[in-house]
Amino acid sequence: MALDLDAVSEADLAAKTSALAAWLHANAPVAIGYSGGVDSAYLAVAARQTLGADRALAIIGRSASYPAEQWATARDVAQRFDVKVLELDTGELDDPRYAANPSNRCYYCKTELWSRLVPVAHSCGFPTVVDGTNADDLSDYRPGAQAAREHRVASPLAELGFTKLHIRHASRALGIPTWQQPSSPCLSSRLPYGTEVTRGRLRQIELAEAALRKLGIAGDLRVRFHEELARVELAPTELSAWLDPERMAVLTEAVSQAGFTRVALDLRGFRSGSLNVLHGVSIA
Amino acid sequence: MSELRGERTSRNAVALAAAIAELGIECALEARGGLALLLPTPEGVAALQVDESRRAVLALAKEHGFTHVAIELPSERRRSSTSADAPLLRD
Repeated sequence: MALDLDAVSEADLAAKTSALAAWLHANAPVAIGYSGGVDSAYLAVAARQTLGADRALAIIGRSASYPAEQWATARDVAQRFDVKVLELDTGELDDPRYAANPSNRCYYCKTELWSRLVPVAHSCGFPTVVDGTNADDLSDYRPGAQAAREHRVASPLAELGFTKLHIRHASRALGIPTWQQPSSPCLSSRLPYGTEVTRGRLRQIELAEAALRKLGIAGDLRVRFHEELARVELAPTELSAWLDPERMAVLTEAVSQAGFTRVALDLRGFRSGSLNVLHGVSIA
Repeated sequence: MSELRGERTSRNAVALAAAIAELGIECALEARGGLALLLPTPEGVAALQVDESRRAVLALAKEHGFTHVAIELPSERRRSSTSADAPLLRD
């Protein structure tokens, strides 16, 4: 991934990382809701390096909507940077309000996550619980943020003005491999609102995306679920190459193996919140 | 000639199919809500490899009320399953 070196000044980044260190010291010990994504990986490593091994704890909530590939990344980063990890299972799919997949689905997911994670953190001696929400997220439609507020989960990265770009720069400076990882929201985000979330559908999406990764697609990638049809979104820079008939056949075969009978390639390519646009939740 | 199937909504799928054909891109079109699903001929696929053509199709789709455009990729499974399907609606 190319990083715009001029978009973030060294002074700005230094000021933000200093502010984060001060915040962490003031609120230690700290438990981090940890997924292994770009944001929470940075926050976990920063907390570990600022506070020491015993005053930072990364907690992973595992469920069917959490890709196995990301779980592996989370554990790898934690091991590499000596971050203590605790794992627990969450059961959001057992909540019919979540499974019905309303537009505020994330609220029910995060309510389940934090209602399990926060008491565990407190019982382990970590009164402060944080998540990796960043400043860019504040302008997006994020019903999960309400659940975080209700459970008194703090978002220091957003609070201190860290954008995704700041986090990528800071991660690269610390040698965290996720600095160039594409954003990775949960698998349920691939289903249109109103389409029931089931373990089978999540598994189908996960298999299809994993198969495409094996073909060498490293950048942004989503397999959007439209019942029998999988709509693949690739980074716009990759599109032309995959419109070659031979490569189209390879792509189709890979996605079909996951159980989709029809495969389509989005002509605009990847865009965050694509299904929100399709269903009128946000603006195209 | 372009073909049209799927739902008929306030989005103008018929006009979109005709407009795409005017660009010289041969394809059938299936409307699925805000998604315009194109089923191009091999010549249509070749045309869509060009960035400019894709941009033109995307602009036309937006103009006709669609938020997304995708092309269905050919597959053996699809060919065998469509043989028993209802016939395509023609424009």
